[in-house]
Amino acid sequence: MSTTTAKPALVRSELRKITSTRLWWGLLIGVAIYTAISAGASAAFAGVDPGGGQPPSPPLDTPEAIRTVYASAAFSGAYIFAMILGITGMTGEYRYQTITPTFLAVPRRVRIVLSKMAAHIGYGLAYGAVGAVVALVVGGIVISIRGFDLGYGTDRLWPSILLGVVAVAIWTLVGLGIGTLIRNQIAAILVAVFVVFLVEGIATAILAATDLDSVAKWLPTNASAALTSPGSSQLEYLPWWAGGLVLLGYAVVLGGIGLLLSSRRDVT
Amino acid sequence: MGQAGHRIDVVGLTKRFGAVTALDDLTFSVRPGVVTGFLGPNGAGKTTTLRCLLGLVQPTAGTATIDGRRYRDLPDPLRTVGAALEAASFHPGRSARAHLQVMALAAGVDVGRVDQLLAQVGLAEFGGRRVGGFSLGMRQRLALAQALLGDPPVLILDEPANGLDPAGIAWLRGFLRSLAAEGRTVLVSSHVLSEVQQTVDDVVVITRGTLVRQGALTELDAGPTAVLVRTPTPEALRDALGTSYDVSELDGRLRVVGGSTDEVGHLAHTHGVELHELAAEASDLEQVFLAMTTEGEVVR
Repeated sequence: MSTTTAKPALVRSELRKITSTRLWWGLLIGVAIYTAISAGASAAFAGVDPGGGQPPSPPLDTPEAIRTVYASAAFSGAYIFAMILGITGMTGEYRYQTITPTFLAVPRRVRIVLSKMAAHIGYGLAYGAVGAVVALVVGGIVISIRGFDLGYGTDRLWPSILLGVVAVAIWTLVGLGIGTLIRNQIAAILVAVFVVFLVEGIATAILAATDLDSVAKWLPTNASAALTSPGSSQLEYLPWWAGGLVLLGYAVVLGGIGLLLSSRRDVT
Repeated sequence: MGQAGHRIDVVGLTKRFGAVTALDDLTFSVRPGVVTGFLGPNGAGKTTTLRCLLGLVQPTAGTATIDGRRYRDLPDPLRTVGAALEAASFHPGRSARAHLQVMALAAGVDVGRVDQLLAQVGLAEFGGRRVGGFSLGMRQRLALAQALLGDPPVLILDEPANGLDPAGIAWLRGFLRSLAAEGRTVLVSSHVLSEVQQTVDDVVVITRGTLVRQGALTELDAGPTAVLVRTPTPEALRDALGTSYDVSELDGRLRVVGGSTDEVGHLAHTHGVELHELAAEASDLEQVFLAMTTEGEVVR
């Protein structure tokens, strides 16, 4: 028996942890609502002149607009909730001191983290899939109302949607990594949401404005966008596979540092 | 349960948290088949010792082992050692049954045991309820069920009587005795001797991170023995006892130090002194314990 691999029973234990409390479906409702709003709004305003001299986004008869309404909205509606699920998957153990029985059952702490990753990937895929279905339905309704073709056969739409689902799953791992590093639940969620929503957006804008696109595309949200590949007016994204690897890299680095710090730390 | 005979050995255990020395060269051992009380006032280092033993806290020096092995080196920890450390280690939104299922899966224990264990600790009808609504006593019972998941030969329980009502404490007493009678090694910590006095066979007493006393509980009972006598003619009894005993008056009775009830009864009889009461003074273990733990090294 290897000491660093996750045993199936241990993964089932981690899955049972998630299903046995109510947080996961609360977050899933969040995914559905937020995705519906994202997809509905981007379908409603695609090609509409925003005024103030800014250029309109691509109209609904372009592949870029269709991919934005479906693939991009599905991802952006789901990934924050997937990240929060990942964060709480780790920090909840410290918050409720269940980390003590968890470590008593499995003293090799690396195995706990690996099992959590396996369990959370499954939930991330499910969250991404729900986001995709909601985006296809709500976005499709709004597109139909506006009299455009549904565009389900649009070029590269389905690969974008599938890769978006994968990206959502990777964000649960990023969340676990954050939670391993920052063990205080509230602090971990606040820092993560603050960085993703505010710091990244500002950094991307600044970097793009100063012709440093080559740096901006490595940021986690932009790496994710490489997977869903909407037409960006701001910057060039990485190739989709590189975006996925960069995102995985963030999860591994954050989780790895957290593990290094915690593998011998006293649990009192 | 596996084959009997698991020892716990703590050797030279030292733990410093920054400038604070929680454990200072602590050495003791616990034998199987009996209930051992791990006693000391609050802050003596009991919980830190147990956490070192369970691999949750890294000792600064020394070792704490189960049959010579560190906890994290045990191939199947929950089947070897069952521990209940604190009654707060539950997710409030998770049901008692789900908590045990999570633990059973992680430990590789048959999940079918969960309901049986809930019944064993008296929580059968509460298995589906979320732990957030549990009383402290119910959490203690759930913690005990968790400790028993792997049917382990070694049980380590930190203040298990906390929050239990008198009926619960009586139940716990019988429960622990029956577990020890099955040949298990049972280590129970407490800061109140009277709580475990009727349960434990051996005691390990620590204070300020060091060992004060280890041995059988009966050896604690080493204070001066005295005989209490009530008689209508105290002066006659004093004469009968002579000068070989230290006699004093206590609550209308005579307190005779240095003799047994047999001796005092015999002397009274031969001198024709009428006795209305003759009893051995119960030595107050709690007082002995208090003296030991407050004066540190005095009663070694």
